[in-house]
Amino acid sequence: MPPNLHNTHVKLLAFDLLSLTQTPNPHSSSSDTISFSRRGSPLSRVEILGTVTFRDSKPGKFLKFSIDDGTGCVPCILWLNHLTSTYFSRRRPQDVRLIAHVASDFASLIKIGAVARIRGRVTGYRGSVQITVSDVLIERDPNVETLHWLDCMRLAGKCYDPLPHRK
Amino acid sequence: MAGIQSGTPVTLAELRPESPLFKEGASLRVTGKIQEYSVETAIATVVDGDSKLKIDTQHLRDLSFRTGSIFQFIGELLIHPDNEAVLQARVGRNVDGIDLNLYHQSLQLLRQFQADHIRA
Repeated sequence: MPPNLHNTHVKLLAFDLLSLTQTPNPHSSSSDTISFSRRGSPLSRVEILGTVTFRDSKPGKFLKFSIDDGTGCVPCILWLNHLTSTYFSRRRPQDVRLIAHVASDFASLIKIGAVARIRGRVTGYRGSVQITVSDVLIERDPNVETLHWLDCMRLAGKCYDPLPHRK
Repeated sequence: MAGIQSGTPVTLAELRPESPLFKEGASLRVTGKIQEYSVETAIATVVDGDSKLKIDTQHLRDLSFRTGSIFQFIGELLIHPDNEAVLQARVGRNVDGIDLNLYHQSLQLLRQFQADHIRA
């Protein structure tokens, strides 16, 4: 039976994340019209880590950036439109202002060459996988990318893969 | 964003003309110690053991290339007619304190993991 990864931030290498299986999900809400799975295990949230190699900012709207972990480049989007989007109109204004403030702080951390740990939801955009960012942490340890590689390989082998790799 | 290529991690020793990684325009990630740096040309030379590579840093900002520091660069390989390679860096960072032995061993494991994953 495939492991249940649905409510976990699954640590994945970029090449693994970018090869997730996408399945149209016509019965869900508009923001989740595609569901994602890895080797038969559905997942919705991921954690990646790598070097910021691209950023494109539309202030008050969004920040697009990419994370290169040496196995691939993951497109990420950080929404910055909380104060104008109708999506948040039913939330308490003070909560929305706080969310907007946090998102703005995250955006200021994303600089070319920085190493960032990113958490978020897996979403689809024009047929490709991307991450809708919910958390950003800048890493200073020069060994952190190496340790992330090892972590992802260990978790894939021991936790995520329903069957061991056959050689 | 779709046009941004991932920099494949390579060791400087692997960047020999006979290597499949040694090709014009290849997006690579290299790590090495700054041996020399010219402010006039913005060319840095990085070394790892007996291997060395020139890095064109003209597109990088806010970095100080101190001799003896270890840097990691992501960029595209340019190969001159005499087979001399220069990495046109688009990203660079100081990684002083990196455990290069762990890095090199982990890189071998990573390649094996990717190969197994693709075969599975």
